[in-house]
Amino acid sequence: MQVNQTKSQFVAVASIAAELSAVMEVAKEISLAAANAKAIAFRAGEKAKGFQPITDFINELAKDTIELVNNINEYAFHLYRLTVNEQRMTEACRRFEKVGQLAVGARYADSLNAPLQQVRQRNQVCHREFIIQVSELLIKLADVMHPARAARVIAANSRIEASQAGEYLQSLQAVAESVDNAAQIINDKVHKCRSALTIINVAE
Amino acid sequence: MRMTKIYEGAYQWIMLGRDEHKPEKIIDTNQYMVRTANRCLLIDPGGIELFAPMLAAVLHHAPVEEITDLFASHQDPDIISSLGLWDQALPNAKLHASALWEGFLRHFGCETIEYVPIPDHGGVINLGSTELQIVPAHYLHASANFHIYDPHAKILMSGDVGAALEAPAMPVFVENFDMHVEKMRYFHQRWMPSNQAKRAWIDRVRKLDIDILAPQHGRMFKGDDVKRFLDWFEALQVGIAV
Ligand SMILES: [Fe+2]
Ligand SMILES: [Fe+2]
Repeated sequence: MQVNQTKSQFVAVASIAAELSAVMEVAKEISLAAANAKAIAFRAGEKAKGFQPITDFINELAKDTIELVNNINEYAFHLYRLTVNEQRMTEACRRFEKVGQLAVGARYADSLNAPLQQVRQRNQVCHREFIIQVSELLIKLADVMHPARAARVIAANSRIEASQAGEYLQSLQAVAESVDNAAQIINDKVHKCRSALTIINVAE
Repeated sequence: MRMTKIYEGAYQWIMLGRDEHKPEKIIDTNQYMVRTANRCLLIDPGGIELFAPMLAAVLHHAPVEEITDLFASHQDPDIISSLGLWDQALPNAKLHASALWEGFLRHFGCETIEYVPIPDHGGVINLGSTELQIVPAHYLHASANFHIYDPHAKILMSGDVGAALEAPAMPVFVENFDMHVEKMRYFHQRWMPSNQAKRAWIDRVRKLDIDILAPQHGRMFKGDDVKRFLDWFEALQVGIAV
């Protein structure tokens, strides 16, 4: 049971790391789209006047997302370290208990009691810390959803602004489209992270 | 785990091996323990699968707090992959192992245990009431490799040198040297990479007064069989895979 638990923790932590690096890629794409949009809006001049502040905003959102993900990556790494430690302690508990069974009648069998207690304690401390870190990570992940959600609203606004832009309509609409897609992808990835973490909490 | 006392004086040498619970596919190993009045050294304490039977056996002789020293002849998993567990079990222990292997052995987990790096020329392990010599045996077979010599007990723990592969539950000592040779030949030819390293080791070891040659696999050599082994090994061509 305990062994399976650390196994599922490893899987969860690994999948979070994978999702996060995907989020990072998408955030970089958004910031590229923002730069692109800025160039188009500049060329469109007066016709895309309403579009210009939006491009800055998109860029800000991308930057925020990248920063948040960097921050979350540290949490994910910490979770990984905790999982490694917990796995070691769980393994030690299991093996020490085996020693206890095999050493029945051995003159110094009792001397293992103190180390066994200690390992059990360390194991609990690790696990408790893991649970705390997971709930903090869940909060941080909710934070990443905010810029992604805002990006979708902006994408909708961008479409409206794009409709005023005459011959630039298509290119600006394409920008709005790609921001919207990217935000949608980030949303999905973050949801996956959250459900990976929730699985651990359920396993509790 | 079977325990065989191989020296009894002011302190003891005990060979531990032939564990009947050993999973079939892992290589059988010999572990050695040197027990003084208040300290205990474990030589090549073994793989992770062997940890529980090994510690259970040691607890017949010493409490965990008196297991003060571990020695790893080299970095192989059958020698020391149990390190991470000893690390949690022993409150006051040191690991004596090659300086070269430190960054590698720490992968097994070594936080509580103090890593005492052995330089290439060897050194000693001081157990208070007695002192053992760490003898270089580089390239036999690992690039950094050491053996333990006890000048009082006249025992040389020779790591993989002298190892033999045979059916489980074989006797602990070689009884018929000529018949034993075939169980060692391929192992030495294939695992030992260098004739030059082999010669250097033989020159060094011939100067030692040895009653028992104690390898990490198979049977120990006693009395005249020690010399027979050295002569046989000297004549053997090793490093045959290239
Ligand atoms: Fe080896
Ligand atoms: Fe070996």
